Amino acid sequence: MAEARAPQKSLPKINPVDRPFWEGAKNNKFLLQKCNSCGKVQFFPRIACVDCFGEVSWIEAKGTGKIHSFTLVRVPRNPAFKEEAPIYYINVILDEGVIIESRLLGDNKEKVKMGDRVKVRYEQTHNPDIKLPCFELA
Amino acid sequence: MRRKKVCFVGYGSTEYSRKSEESLLGQYAIAIRDVLNKTGLKKKDINGLSVTTQASPDTAPHVAEQLGFELDWVLNADYGGASGVGAVSRAADAIECGHLDIALLLAGNSFDRSVAHQRQLEYQRGNFVDVYGYGGPNSLMALIQRLHMENFGTTLEQVGKIAVAQRFNAINNPQALFREPMSMQDYLNSRMISDPVRLFDCVMPCSGAECIILASEEKAKQLTDKLVYLVTDAEKIHYQVANMLPEKTTFGMKLVGEKIFSEVKREDIDLFEIYDDYPIAVMIQIEDFGYCKKGDGGKFVDAHDLTYKGDFPVNTGGGELSVGQAGLAGGFLHVIEGLRQLRGEAEGHQVAKAERALVTGIGWLNYGRNLGTTSALVMERRK
Repeated sequence: MAEARAPQKSLPKINPVDRPFWEGAKNNKFLLQKCNSCGKVQFFPRIACVDCFGEVSWIEAKGTGKIHSFTLVRVPRNPAFKEEAPIYYINVILDEGVIIESRLLGDNKEKVKMGDRVKVRYEQTHNPDIKLPCFELA
Repeated sequence: MRRKKVCFVGYGSTEYSRKSEESLLGQYAIAIRDVLNKTGLKKKDINGLSVTTQASPDTAPHVAEQLGFELDWVLNADYGGASGVGAVSRAADAIECGHLDIALLLAGNSFDRSVAHQRQLEYQRGNFVDVYGYGGPNSLMALIQRLHMENFGTTLEQVGKIAVAQRFNAINNPQALFREPMSMQDYLNSRMISDPVRLFDCVMPCSGAECIILASEEKAKQLTDKLVYLVTDAEKIHYQVANMLPEKTTFGMKLVGEKIFSEVKREDIDLFEIYDDYPIAVMIQIEDFGYCKKGDGGKFVDAHDLTYKGDFPVNTGGGELSVGQAGLAGGFLHVIEGLRQLRGEAEGHQVAKAERALVTGIGWLNYGRNLGTTSALVMERRK
């Protein structure tokens, strides 16, 4: 019988479509997809343009934006995050015009308000090859 | 579109439980026996089966084999919370085409841990949401509720009034897990789960099963003298999917409503069975349907009595918020409560004039937007 293991924080299961995004994050770059045909910028990573189904390339975002909405997660779905609750879970509108789901970090996160400016901050996960793009108040 | 010759014939349910480890097949069997007893049908009369669950890796054809159904039509109906209405729509299509004449639409949930549950987190939820320590659907709806409160001035009391009214409706519903009265103060004082979503904004997961019999008009007339017709139904999947700056406080229900109300008058609906994974979702759907302007849902709620005795009866049996959410059977609860009301069988919570009901389903809180599936139907009692 398998021994009970302490819960591990969730990590992405990286696949061929989103690998460039995670490679970018590892090098402190926030990559978005842009359609080669219609120019639409999109996130999360998809196999084709979500609008016209054109082929997509990767562009680097500035990593800045503003808070669209936020919630303080008192009960994380994955118990491995319990010690860090409340988690400041956020929707950010990047300056490139895309909503991103992420997490707000930093000592002043309690002051967050709707519309606050934020900038990306890369967090090392327990996997040395994976960094997670989070945000802090700008 | 307008349906002409499809009727609801009956419904069956189990008790709901927060602890029971009754197997999923056991739950199904209880609900099926209930509907067979109520309708006088024999198992062999049923020639179509739809199954909705996340509590088993077995799909509808496997379930049919285990329960011993020989069929002309089978459907695995997983559209999240929209599965109840979605299964009815698809069965109605097949009945109108003549593929079958009596469909059993089944849904359930079980805490039987000997069976693997079916669904993994979908890709975008797994790779781009769960990694941040989110709190499940509670967090995703909290983002929407905060926007509604911030943009439109909606208050906690307005959101809470929906939960409080539904609890009043549940008091005489024997199936409801929560039947003790709830005050506004109880609502406001309930534990914070994912701000601004509180405990009493959330549904209680439970085990149980629900089933619905849908039939051709011809068969229905042989089976019951309480004819309830499916009048019209519509759905929208992935509204705003290509919009990277979507309006999170408007659901696809806006477009579903336009289709529904091209067939039925808004003011002709007597009662509303509105998918209530959260009270704010009920408020947004009322807006989307055009009963008030977008953003005025709070004022609308203030101006109306939402109880089964009121002028705008919503979730007359208590909804999922007070009855409990037996997994994906949650969306079936609303169809069945509508049917119960129209058949005049809602003892202790019967709406006085119950001829026409609007029933909705919503599902799949998704990345950066709101809902993947939104669907609605209107049912009507005819003499």
